[in-house]
Amino acid sequence: MFKFLKSNKGITIAAPCNGEIVTIDQVPDAVFAQKMVGDGFAIIPSSNDIHSPVDGEVIQVFPTYHAICLKSTDGLEIIVHIGIDTVELKGEGFTCHTSVGANVKAGDLLLSFSPEILAAKGKNSITPVVITNQEVLKSLKVETGLTHTADTVAKITLK
Amino acid sequence: MKEIIIKNPTGLHARPASQLVMQCKGFESEITLIRGDQTANAKSIMSIMAMAIMGGDKIQVTAEGPDAEAAIEAIATFLESLEE
Repeated sequence: MFKFLKSNKGITIAAPCNGEIVTIDQVPDAVFAQKMVGDGFAIIPSSNDIHSPVDGEVIQVFPTYHAICLKSTDGLEIIVHIGIDTVELKGEGFTCHTSVGANVKAGDLLLSFSPEILAAKGKNSITPVVITNQEVLKSLKVETGLTHTADTVAKITLK
Repeated sequence: MKEIIIKNPTGLHARPASQLVMQCKGFESEITLIRGDQTANAKSIMSIMAMAIMGGDKIQVTAEGPDAEAAIEAIATFLESLEE
């Protein structure tokens, strides 16, 4: 019974910022586009604060503040990765508003970035939001198009 | 067990971490990265990224399983070759 309920449980993922949601294969970086990191979606940000897409715990904030790893209360392992090749900025243009081990709610502020600095350094700010333990996914439905921070943009069912 | 030093300054961020996982999945053995008292399952991106391995870090590669020796050799070589 429990398994039945669990397998039918719908999980929602919230937009981390304002912007346009695109499918993961639109990310101009093969490790994301080919789902090597995980399955999910990406957002082309039009705001510079990145909020949590789920309720969960902060597992790691990369020391360069360009990526954050979360474990959702539903067991999803999620990476939000701001921009492409932004590790090369070594933290420049990024601010962290949370810490490892923090419990967060969907919509809580995690990181922010400077679109001006990314643009000046020639970095695309497209932000993949990927589920790295994709083996737990039964289905993933992404709503592409314009969205706002904390709006539901993906629905997931677990195996 | 083999000990290596990560040379690329940006460490095991998303790209090298996912390439590492792909390499590791080619082996049957369980492969573990060790840094000090922390360990990571080398077949899990989240587990690797949670360790936030950076350039200059000393990492031990261990494996357990039928192809453990080959896995340790290949993964140590891969990690040492990271330059990005």
